[in-house]
Amino acid sequence: MNRTILLIEDKPALTDTLKTLLELHEFNVLTASNGEEGVAHAREHRPDLVISDIFMPVINGYELLEIFKKDSQLRHIPVLMLTAKTAIDEINLAMKKGAAGYVTKPFLFRNLHAKIIKLIL
Amino acid sequence: MLNGIKEPVLIIEPTEGIIEKANKAAIDKLGLSVTGKTLDMPFSETFMLVSDNGTESTCIDFSSSRINIAQKEYVLAIGKTSDGERQLRMQLKNLEQEKNLQEMKTSFISMTSHEFRTPLTAIAAAVDLLETRIKMDHMMNAFYQKNIAKISTEVFNLNTMLDEILTLSKIVSNNYEVKKTPVNVVKVIDYLKFQYFSERKDERKLEVKVVGEPRKIPVDKDQFYKILTNLISNAFKYSTHENPQVKLHYHAQKLVISVSDNGIGIPQKDIPHLFNSFYRGSNVDGIDGTGLGLAIVKTFTEMNDGEIKVTSEKDKGTKFSLTFRYA
Repeated sequence: MNRTILLIEDKPALTDTLKTLLELHEFNVLTASNGEEGVAHAREHRPDLVISDIFMPVINGYELLEIFKKDSQLRHIPVLMLTAKTAIDEINLAMKKGAAGYVTKPFLFRNLHAKIIKLIL
Repeated sequence: MLNGIKEPVLIIEPTEGIIEKANKAAIDKLGLSVTGKTLDMPFSETFMLVSDNGTESTCIDFSSSRINIAQKEYVLAIGKTSDGERQLRMQLKNLEQEKNLQEMKTSFISMTSHEFRTPLTAIAAAVDLLETRIKMDHMMNAFYQKNIAKISTEVFNLNTMLDEILTLSKIVSNNYEVKKTPVNVVKVIDYLKFQYFSERKDERKLEVKVVGEPRKIPVDKDQFYKILTNLISNAFKYSTHENPQVKLHYHAQKLVISVSDNGIGIPQKDIPHLFNSFYRGSNVDGIDGTGLGLAIVKTFTEMNDGEIKVTSEKDKGTKFSLTFRYA
């Protein structure tokens, strides 16, 4: 059975490409363009993994992690952060808030893929 | 008689530099306690005093000349407030404008470099997608492979350049604070080795050697990571076959970190200029780089009270040594 990944990202140019790439690697992909929509999709579909941007409108990546950790049904879903920031502090903050890992933008898909495999297969 | 003069006037005893008398204008500006005050000796023909009336402080420029009063030699100093003040205000205003401009420049660079990452990420992902699709359709050949790799490499080079320009612009505008915390360097190296320097295409690895009892050093974590990432990346970049090496030597009072490679080396004539922005060695033809990395490394090392040294021999290799004290 194919695993389901929820991709939360507010840049459509990246969302489309990444969705297709993940689908070519045999994942089911759901998308959301902000944190709020992401949380709603996660509650409804219970994905195996969430890939989320940090800086996005409505609910940002840190807040998303907090909501996930407080929710008994979402708590166990690993959240992989995509971040444009290379500052160690911000990465540490995301990890402290319970992120399962992170990838800095721009990234090579094979690096992202390796992290996904580690987390859900 | 002196009180008739609108400008502040002081009569000074020249051997000790004591202000003997002050007129009304001078007292208004400098306060009653001005008489009896000793000036820093030797005072020159022109000098400046700061007047502070509680709400704002202004400077008064005095020009002095020697006079005789009752056969004794004194110095008569006449102050100019209005002009000096205006000039100072102008200077302050200019400085402020310059500061604003500098801040604008930094935030502009910071904003653009952040914004540039969005299209770069989309390009990198699209290249990955093309590559995946071409492979799946069994159409991959050397030509596609080479050119796809080229786009991808250049995207990441552009990204590194953005990082470096951002870092340097922050340094230039003094926007970096040094937040020192005790850092375990062995852990940092392990992290970097795993995060950035593993699973390389050429199968090379970072060799790590630790000598002595590890102790923490007080450095800014973020800046320290940048220093090491830069030096280790260079060691990989400017060598081809052998593994680069990091050695941590814990001495009694200090830690010496050396990063070395067996690469192309740095010609002797380039070494004095190595840490200047945009300077690159004369033998780096065909190897990408901005010439900003080592300028950043040196600045961060010194901001964290460390020392950096380099020894190198052309075609033999290069060794950078960083020294940090434990306290």
